[in-house]
Amino acid sequence: MPKSQMIDPKDVRKKGYVKFTDIPVNQYSKSIKQEEANFSADDFLRIYRDMAIIREFENMLLLIKTTGEYNGIAYNNPGPAHLSLGQEASAVGQAYLLQKDDYIFGSHRSHGEIIAKGLSCIHKTPDDELYAIMKNFMGGRILKIVEGNQKNIKETAIDFLIYGALAEIFARETGFNKGLGGSMHAFFTDFGIYPNNAIVGGSATIAMGAALYKKVNQKSGIVISNVGDASLGCGPVWEALGMASMDQLTKLWEEGYNGGLPIIFNFFNNFYGMGGQTYGETMAYNILARVGAGVNPDQMHAERIDGNNPLAVIDAMRRKLDIIKSNKGPVLLDTIVYRMTGHSPSDSGSYRTKEELAAWAEQDVLIGYSKDLIKAGKADAGVFEQMNEYAKELITKTIKLAIDDSVSPRMNLSVTPGAIEDIMFSNQNVEKLGTDEPSVLIPMEENPRVKQLTGKIRYAFDENGKPVSKNKVYQLRDGLFEAIIDKFYKDSSLVAYGEDNRDWGGAFAVYRGLTESLPYHRFFNAPISEAAIVGSAVGYAMSGGRAIVELMYCDFIGRAGDEVFNQLAKWQSMSAGVLKMPVVLRVSIGSKYGAQHSQDWTSMIANIPGLKCVFPVTPYDAKGLMNAALAGTDPVVFFESQRIYDIGEQFCKAGVPEGYYEIPIGEPDIKRQGSDITILTIGATLYKALEAADILKGKHGISAEVIDARSIVPFNYDKVIESVKKTGKVVLASDACERGSHIKELASNITELAFDYLDAPPVCVGARNWITPAYELEADFFPQADWILDAIHQKIMPLAGHVAAGNFTEVEQIRRNKYGV
Amino acid sequence: MATPVIMPKQGQSVESCIITKWHKKVGDDVKEGELLFSYETDKASFDEEAKADGKMLAIFFEEGDEADCLVNVCVIGNEGEDVSEFAPGIAAPGQSSPEATKESVSATPATQPEQKAESAAASNDGFVKISPRARGLAEKSGADIRYAEPTGANGRIMARDIEKVIVQGKVATYASKDAYYASGNVVSGTGIGGRVTTYDLSAVPAGAGQQKPVAEFEEVALSNIRKIIAKSMHASLSQSAQLTLNASFDATDILAFRKKLKENAETLALPNITINDIILYAVSRALVRHREINAHYMGDRMLLFGSANIGIACDTDRGLMVPTLFAADKLSLAEIAAQSKKLTTACKEGSISPDLLTGGTFTVTNLGTLGVESFTPVINPPQTGILGVCAMTERTKNGKAYPAIGLSLTFDHRAIDGAPAARFLQEVVKILESFSFMLALR
Repeated sequence: MPKSQMIDPKDVRKKGYVKFTDIPVNQYSKSIKQEEANFSADDFLRIYRDMAIIREFENMLLLIKTTGEYNGIAYNNPGPAHLSLGQEASAVGQAYLLQKDDYIFGSHRSHGEIIAKGLSCIHKTPDDELYAIMKNFMGGRILKIVEGNQKNIKETAIDFLIYGALAEIFARETGFNKGLGGSMHAFFTDFGIYPNNAIVGGSATIAMGAALYKKVNQKSGIVISNVGDASLGCGPVWEALGMASMDQLTKLWEEGYNGGLPIIFNFFNNFYGMGGQTYGETMAYNILARVGAGVNPDQMHAERIDGNNPLAVIDAMRRKLDIIKSNKGPVLLDTIVYRMTGHSPSDSGSYRTKEELAAWAEQDVLIGYSKDLIKAGKADAGVFEQMNEYAKELITKTIKLAIDDSVSPRMNLSVTPGAIEDIMFSNQNVEKLGTDEPSVLIPMEENPRVKQLTGKIRYAFDENGKPVSKNKVYQLRDGLFEAIIDKFYKDSSLVAYGEDNRDWGGAFAVYRGLTESLPYHRFFNAPISEAAIVGSAVGYAMSGGRAIVELMYCDFIGRAGDEVFNQLAKWQSMSAGVLKMPVVLRVSIGSKYGAQHSQDWTSMIANIPGLKCVFPVTPYDAKGLMNAALAGTDPVVFFESQRIYDIGEQFCKAGVPEGYYEIPIGEPDIKRQGSDITILTIGATLYKALEAADILKGKHGISAEVIDARSIVPFNYDKVIESVKKTGKVVLASDACERGSHIKELASNITELAFDYLDAPPVCVGARNWITPAYELEADFFPQADWILDAIHQKIMPLAGHVAAGNFTEVEQIRRNKYGV
Repeated sequence: MATPVIMPKQGQSVESCIITKWHKKVGDDVKEGELLFSYETDKASFDEEAKADGKMLAIFFEEGDEADCLVNVCVIGNEGEDVSEFAPGIAAPGQSSPEATKESVSATPATQPEQKAESAAASNDGFVKISPRARGLAEKSGADIRYAEPTGANGRIMARDIEKVIVQGKVATYASKDAYYASGNVVSGTGIGGRVTTYDLSAVPAGAGQQKPVAEFEEVALSNIRKIIAKSMHASLSQSAQLTLNASFDATDILAFRKKLKENAETLALPNITINDIILYAVSRALVRHREINAHYMGDRMLLFGSANIGIACDTDRGLMVPTLFAADKLSLAEIAAQSKKLTTACKEGSISPDLLTGGTFTVTNLGTLGVESFTPVINPPQTGILGVCAMTERTKNGKAYPAIGLSLTFDHRAIDGAPAARFLQEVVKILESFSFMLALR
């Protein structure tokens, strides 16, 4: 909501029409002769060679999957194989002009794209550089396997590429991603091949984030999102199109950063999403390119091109690359192709006719292209035969290597049990990922919020022990702000965005003051597109930057489910440690706003391997953990609570330090020492637990040790177990709905780890398994201090004189579970 | 009108008794003065007679049950009368019923009514509700969890309940609990954290497998008194530094003195005075001059007594009992003789008041009548000494034979050194060897 742009009723209420321009459909019609200026005879033939290699590669996989044998070599490949037989021209045409710095992101059906981009890159890269890439990758392990009596480095590099991809598909440790990515995910970033994605449309938001990285950090190259026609049925793809086209990029972003994102949203349109026919059955666009017209006034420069003709694709790419270089992105391409085999080998083809298949077979891309070249006198049939033979030899030689267990072993988890464990997190501490001078508008000390904070009292109580007023006290939101602004002045790659971040300062005033310090390209308002917000952060981080993105309410994680659970969490480990994921995802747990704005979903985050998760509830912890999260290289889901943004620091008597410090992620903190019972809390429930501890002490002479989990993942149990061994009794509390909540996980582990020391079962006190009711009823829904006392009274030990208001009996526990409430 | 019969309170320190036998069963006619039931404390047994005529209407405890003192154990009255209000554990009318308490959770009082651990801690399926921590503590300390009063939620025994049992001294391992420990084998656990699993116990140890000859035996449950003796004797030996000094005295004088008494007994109406009585007399006089052996050793301090309360070890059908002869140093020989006879008779009959079984400051035990010539008596803690009286033997002094009686003094070296203990023994010998002379002076 920038004040510089007025929404003028006179303008917006004016009569008129939305005008569209024509969207080109298959307009390419040049002959080989006409293209001679653009291609040498070698170029024409190399295009064929590349298509032939892809054809043979996919054909080999088809035979292995369907007959268990290729060229006399028997092998069983139980993993997936989504083949692109028939689509070779589109992949080779797209890659033809791309440079190493241009990134492609693909789908489950991207073997062809990997090979095409790799071959294009090998052709363009100088030999010494190529050799260095191969030598440095995995300590030269793949190079050693493939290096033999090749004629030249480029030939070695082709062997390297085909082997790395195939070994990956066969889940070998010598694959590009140590077999952890597999067929649907294989990639090799040194050739600009970025992760392929098994979630339909999953690459759209990620590729958009990579393009954002290139723009913000002024890196060369463009980004291509290769997804299928059916992915336009997925919300996140639309979100990516929208966010890539947001007005501010041209209207508000500063000189030098102004202009559209350097991205091509390419849809390999093979007319089917598995068996669902997008043209005529499941979608409405009729011609996919039409979609571009709805996104921005440039109509995304959309065009339908014939993916069956490599030269048509190259022609389109040449024009689109020019558009992007002139800062006019994004671009939408509708590249029609036809998949000659099933969605996967288990596809019986029940949704299409033999006639349809025969009609497309007649237009086979390799045969068609070779006929054109023969006709134009570029080569005779024997040359193509030779290239086909070369492809067959290449694939035969490679599969022999790739299935030889002595050459290409699989990960042996009994010999190296830590092989996967070690790559779940990168666990690095890197002060800055950007190498430039951070782009800021004013010196930090001139920032109005920074100046205001110098006058705040950094401990919650004055020298007489009286609470400092809310207006004077340094609050939790101030701790977050200090950590974040500090990193903005250190790491030029850091960006922050989300809903209502700029100007407004974030819905809960954490970012108040950031607008004054930061230009648009580092700090901006995202559209209300949670999937695109998180997905783009994934792409931004895997490209080399650091992002802090915000979803306002924890409840909105649902809108970014795939991006949080399948993308943010997975890419470090699916890349076998090649990629880093320095993303801090801020989510805030609401209060007073009812059922869709009040949920603590820490357990959902904790259940997904690959995400770190913290939930600080004091200003000291908030600043220290935010510093640690922002210095790390792992994705951290950073939980906050709207109940306590204004709370002062009650535990660190020296006050929240003004300087930089980190609190290690994973360490719980004893907030109050005690000897008779342990209370372990997650989140703002800490303060209810302290109230309960006061009553236990005052009324019952029971000394409670109160521990704040602070981190959910990772979590060091040492302190907790030590405490429970001492007290023998533990109550766990959090604001999350109790069933399946993370306190249940903690209780389960405590039971196992301290069983012999337990003097009563660990007792969980969570919110009821209901919708969150109105604020006025919240005391009946969220755990209160007296709930904790009731639970102790009824499940651990009777408290003399205590009159329980709640029902924590076993009978009630069984009843609630029986009815699921 | 139905009359309840309560479990009598036998002495201040007795809180419950075990019913050993019912002489009447429900439906029997009962006449005043007839035996109703026999019962025992850990130290003595008693009979309860009917105080009214009528029919036995209800019996609330079985033989072998332990009943709290002053609790109703049976009801005598006319046929058909309602006895339900007398059943122990039912609240008097006017108080809220247990059902009502159960229904309103909010009204659950924190303090549980006094319950018997055995029944309270066990749930319907017979499992004892006890926390792992409490069980671990019980295993480690040997505390008998059956004595624990559960104070945890849902009737669960917690560690604090076991700590109370330990303080109460109910620390006796019971074999049934622990096949593992009883086996005497040391098995290294294969369970998680080195826990011994049932698998470990069932695994055949090396060298096993040969069938051992099976000894025939009769299994006899230990009586309460046997358990008490076992516990206190073992505690005595394991927890103090005992050693025994042996001496003997020339009994010529006391034998002559006793002969004279016997000769004049009828005419002077003198009581029968035994050698033991004479020794008790001598000991009582010596004790008050050697206070460290007329004492209780309390670990960090000593209680030195002003008068000699001598425990008299007494062999009964039920086992060893030690009634106390209070202020023996103030009693005449005749009084000592009369009172000790009364005490030992009461013990043998099982009618001794439990209050007379405590309070001793020193003990005298006599195995001489059974021909024992020397032994090592075991101190009754926290006393610091016990004197054993041995059989009379013939010895010679300067070629001349004389009757000698052996004395074995066990003392606690923590409380007293060897020389002072020997001096005490020497004084006893001196008094006894010149008894008639001493009797006249003291």
